[in-house]
Amino acid sequence: MNYPPLLMRLSIGRRRFPIWLPLFLLWPVAAAVIIALAPLVLLAALILWPLGWGKPLLLSGPMLFGVFCALRGLEVNLDRGSRLTQISFK
Amino acid sequence: MSDSQKRILELLAEKKISVDEAQRLLSLTEPEESTGTGGAAESAGPKGKPRYFRVQVQPEAGSGKDSVNVRIPMALIRAGMKFSALIPANASDEVNEALREKGVDFDVRNLKPEDFEELVAALTDLEVDIKGGKEKVHVYVE
Repeated sequence: MNYPPLLMRLSIGRRRFPIWLPLFLLWPVAAAVIIALAPLVLLAALILWPLGWGKPLLLSGPMLFGVFCALRGLEVNLDRGSRLTQISFK
Repeated sequence: MSDSQKRILELLAEKKISVDEAQRLLSLTEPEESTGTGGAAESAGPKGKPRYFRVQVQPEAGSGKDSVNVRIPMALIRAGMKFSALIPANASDEVNEALREKGVDFDVRNLKPEDFEELVAALTDLEVDIKGGKEKVHVYVE
């Protein structure tokens, strides 16, 4: 199991200094939102279970969290001559 | 060097086989060497588990084309593949029907997590080099 990324490095244009976004500050906020939405998601899953969408709805949360954790190490560098875009997750 | 490789070289020295034949035979003995015990094969060890999928597009100097350098963690690819498990049964039918219309006779319900692992494991030896036009494309895992 990977740990979620701590920082996101963002650099757009020919900036001398990239922007470091502290993603770890979002963890408590995300946890609070998940806890608040959990009963609603559970209710929606129960309602949608006969239609076949209940299980996907329940599983989508952990899977999205897995994708978020797997972002650590992702790097994208695009150099378009005058415009340089760099995104990386640490 | 294994006995079979020595024997191939001896046959080549005795001119009983051609260089091409020797090369082909040596390439066939490589898996044997990598699975064998002792010697250089053991010290080199098996090829490590790939961690990143890399795509690099390098334009020729002065061509003015875009340069791309992407490093995707294999864990992200695995996590993305797991999303196929979320496809409900009735949606799978629709996907299958759409694929069939495009001439692809494939049942997405047959996709299993083991298949993904096999696919990711097969990527270990992937290396693609394309040199064409004013760009050089390099796709590999590391």
